[in-house]
Amino acid sequence: MAEKNNSIGRLIITLTVIGALGALFLAGVYEWTIPHILEHEARARERAIMEVLPEADYYEEVTHNDQIFYEGYDENDNFVGVAVSLRGGGYAGEIEIMIGTDPEAREIINIFILNHQETPGLGARITEEQFRENFENAPFSELEIVRRTPEEPQEIEAIAGATMSVEAVKNIVSRVGDIVSEYYGGGS
Amino acid sequence: MAEYFAIFKNGLWNENPIFKLIIGLCPTLAVTNTVVNGFAMGLATGFVLISSEIVISLIKKFIPNDVRIPSFILIIVTFVTFTDYFLGAFFPDIADALALFIPLIVVNCLILGRQEAFASRNSTRRAIFDAVGMTVGFTWVLVLLSAIRELFGFGTLAGIDILGAGYTDMIIMILPGGAFLTLGVLVGVLNLLDRKVGSDNG
Repeated sequence: MAEKNNSIGRLIITLTVIGALGALFLAGVYEWTIPHILEHEARARERAIMEVLPEADYYEEVTHNDQIFYEGYDENDNFVGVAVSLRGGGYAGEIEIMIGTDPEAREIINIFILNHQETPGLGARITEEQFRENFENAPFSELEIVRRTPEEPQEIEAIAGATMSVEAVKNIVSRVGDIVSEYYGGGS
Repeated sequence: MAEYFAIFKNGLWNENPIFKLIIGLCPTLAVTNTVVNGFAMGLATGFVLISSEIVISLIKKFIPNDVRIPSFILIIVTFVTFTDYFLGAFFPDIADALALFIPLIVVNCLILGRQEAFASRNSTRRAIFDAVGMTVGFTWVLVLLSAIRELFGFGTLAGIDILGAGYTDMIIMILPGGAFLTLGVLVGVLNLLDRKVGSDNG
């Protein structure tokens, strides 16, 4: 440690130089890594859309009122459903879910958890196939959480020890009906 | 060479950050619920520790005493942010699992503590041995801790099923409570071991 030269100017210069060099280095790191990070995000989103619209061969992005809709089409260009990505508060942070819907039937096709910060082993089990299956063919309406094997289509089976996370997913998914129906009239 | 080896060995046992110095507990308690997470956290912390000890031991003569702590933090922050972007770009699965605990490496007092106690007073070569020793010491305890928690919490080790399907998961071991329990018992056992070895030797 340099004991002398503890003048205020020297202190400011030292911190400025370290900060500037650090920022310069990180600017380079950002330029280097950001294409990879964006690519991972885009690929994750694409995989999620294909997962929730299993009959789709390709999709198109359409924006209505700041909300992006991913319209899925099969190989004969027939409309097979529309997916939206919705966010909401979970137990430990924000949960982002890709939800595939069939506006004609007013049903949810499937869901896929894009991002979450739920507790590993508990809340994080919302990403498991077994939980997501609950939402297959669920209607456009307020869903219900039950602590037994679901019997009705709107019933979602709870996960032991993850009440808050399941509740959060249910609330987010329950919103999808209104959002989709507004632009994709379906039967009405 | 023996001197360097002694510095290296220091971190493994005598001054082991977790169970002797009891520092760096935030990531220790938070991410050690699976072996993969614990190991990745050890390596990420180790990378930041080694890089910042090297840089700080190199530029220690230019840093005025009055601003040494902010200078250390600036350097540590730079390496942590690098780690965050690097993992996000090339190891997205690990980045997802560790999520906000990567930025929190900044406030791991193990890292700042080693800069203040060691890197700022020693040559770069000695600092490297100290940092590597501390990294190995930190990582092995994290892995041991997460192995115990994962085994009882999920019945698995590094994702491989050990206890079979009939095992009822002890959810508490995955939650923060399990981390406190395991760490407390582990520190007790290791200290007992230490005392036993110490009395045998002398």
